[in-house]
Amino acid sequence: MDPLPHILVVDDDREIRDLLARFLEQHRLRVTTARDGKETRRAWDNGNYQLVVLDLMLPGESGLDIARWLRSQSNVPIVMLTAMGDETDRIIGLELGADDYLPKPFNPRELLARIRAVLRRAGEQPDHRREEPVDGYSFAGWKVEVARRRLLNEDGVEVMLTGGEFDLLVALLERANRVLTRDMLLDLLRGRQAGPYDRAIDVAVSRLRRKLEDDGRNSQLIKTVRGGGYVLATQVERV
Amino acid sequence: MRRKFWPRGLAARTALVLLIGLAVVQTAGLVIHGLDRLDVLRAGQAKDMTERVVGVYRTVVLTPAPQREALLAEFGRGADLSAEMSQGPPVGDLAEMPAQMQRTYLIHAREVPLGVSQGRWRALLLYGSPELHRVLFAFHLPDGHWLHVSVLPTPPRPWHGPFFMTAFILMTVAAAGLSLWAVRRLIAPVRALAAAAEALGRDVNAPPLPEGGPTEVAKAAAAFNQMAARIRRFVADRTELLTAIGHDLRTPITRLKLRAEFMEDEEQRAKMLNDLEELETMVSATLAFGRDARSTEPVVQLDLAELLRTILDEAGDTRPEVVDKLAYEGPQHMTLRARALNMKRALTNLVTNAVNYGGSARIRLHEPAGGTVRIEITDEGQGIPPGELDRVFEPFHRGDQSRNKETGGVGLGLPIARNILRAHGGDVVLTNQPGGGVKATVTLPI
Repeated sequence: MDPLPHILVVDDDREIRDLLARFLEQHRLRVTTARDGKETRRAWDNGNYQLVVLDLMLPGESGLDIARWLRSQSNVPIVMLTAMGDETDRIIGLELGADDYLPKPFNPRELLARIRAVLRRAGEQPDHRREEPVDGYSFAGWKVEVARRRLLNEDGVEVMLTGGEFDLLVALLERANRVLTRDMLLDLLRGRQAGPYDRAIDVAVSRLRRKLEDDGRNSQLIKTVRGGGYVLATQVERV
Repeated sequence: MRRKFWPRGLAARTALVLLIGLAVVQTAGLVIHGLDRLDVLRAGQAKDMTERVVGVYRTVVLTPAPQREALLAEFGRGADLSAEMSQGPPVGDLAEMPAQMQRTYLIHAREVPLGVSQGRWRALLLYGSPELHRVLFAFHLPDGHWLHVSVLPTPPRPWHGPFFMTAFILMTVAAAGLSLWAVRRLIAPVRALAAAAEALGRDVNAPPLPEGGPTEVAKAAAAFNQMAARIRRFVADRTELLTAIGHDLRTPITRLKLRAEFMEDEEQRAKMLNDLEELETMVSATLAFGRDARSTEPVVQLDLAELLRTILDEAGDTRPEVVDKLAYEGPQHMTLRARALNMKRALTNLVTNAVNYGGSARIRLHEPAGGTVRIEITDEGQGIPPGELDRVFEPFHRGDQSRNKETGGVGLGLPIARNILRAHGGDVVLTNQPGGGVKATVTLPI
């Protein structure tokens, strides 16, 4: 039997640490907690962690500094807890290579879902981290800025995407010219899209096609694959 | 009624006063100049007339008496001068010339050299005057005959001159132009002050007034800037307080959410999570409201048409029951410079409002006109009581308590939307539509 995944939770509030540990342990995860940078380093040296949940708003040494230090040590996946809607924190965090983020106050179940998703993705790709982090993609005249979560057209005009649409686009870009089944895409969009899941993917794809000016009947970019799946059929450059 | 022609603007009033003054001064100047020239012209005319008339006299005196009639017939042909021989002084309607005027004429007459001895007239009588447009000289010749010379002087034209009128008009126009220019310059600071006050009302972070110019203007500008700074500080303090409370509430809310996960009673747990959700919504709205004032988001090029459709898509995802009542009408693309996330929040708030209170949202994006783009968001709800139309933009104002409870509004959606739009140089106005429902009209510079 697989050992339980070991999670390191970094938060300055003792109650949140304890409650979160209890909650995650209830859901079959092993948890160690740390209060600040010092404790994080000590815990890091004494354990082998599969994932770190990191609060960015720490007194003293900031969460970003800790994230930077963690990155210098390993490619361990990081889920950040950010200030609500604080764009700057989120962007810097994602640029540092955090794998996901959740605004505080978060819903514990959503955090659990995100942790599971990140662990699963890391498990799929043993060396889940690419040698070089990707800042963006360009394809068919479009540009994608990953950290800022922006889609720009040829003229540099931003075309607004919803969170789900953006994740879908990045998923397609990461695996360009490879077929992605609905199930794989569903997994990516978990927790993002409301409404019935089976339809959510098709709706998101059709909206994405509209925004990419990819005619639904005769789609050249995002092609529908018979038997339930989609493929991004174009040359993608990583930048 | 009495003030029908009294303009309302300070500049117009000052200009009017100055121009009336200028008109009075110019008229007076013209009159004084005219009277003065009239005297000069009259004096010259008297001299000329006298010399001509004495010339006639001289010719007559030198001519033997029998040939005089024939000679005078020649003179009679002149347009303004006629002469005739007579046995006595003239009798007729023409009154004798005033004594003072006569002296001038007589002096001139005496100065004309006759060139003949014994030719001097025995008497010279004068009648009429230039004002009557007729002067009659009656000479008593040395031989006892009388010579009557009648002259019709041309009326003097004191304002006549090749350059006079042109120069006068140019001068007047120049003076009027200068006064208008000076008035505009003097009034400019007042306008700047009014514009600054207006801008401050829209956005407390509007740039300060330049504190230059004349002392009084500089003082007023400085006072205004100080007032603006005080208002800014006051607003900032309040916003900071709200933001601090919002930040501090995050930890307890997180704790409560975690604790709720350990509750045995499913029903109670669901209720508690609902309450926490509501609390979180309020906190995040408050934080969003506090954040707008110091938005650091960069301005980017943005496809407004696509943004509006995305917002409708999302509204449909959250409220699937109204999907059929969401519609977009307008161009497929329209590029606008804006802070993307802020703009999205503002427009989302307006759409959410339409959906929550009006049960529908129809967006119409108009083609830009005159540097402005207009977005109309309409719903099919009950509308807003007319008295409330402006109050709904006040922070924490709630229109209808019972309905708000249901939709969980905090009373910050519209103020946030308006703050963001105004920070972009635009605005939003709510109006009730004739057929029912509310129309939110957004204007943005493009």
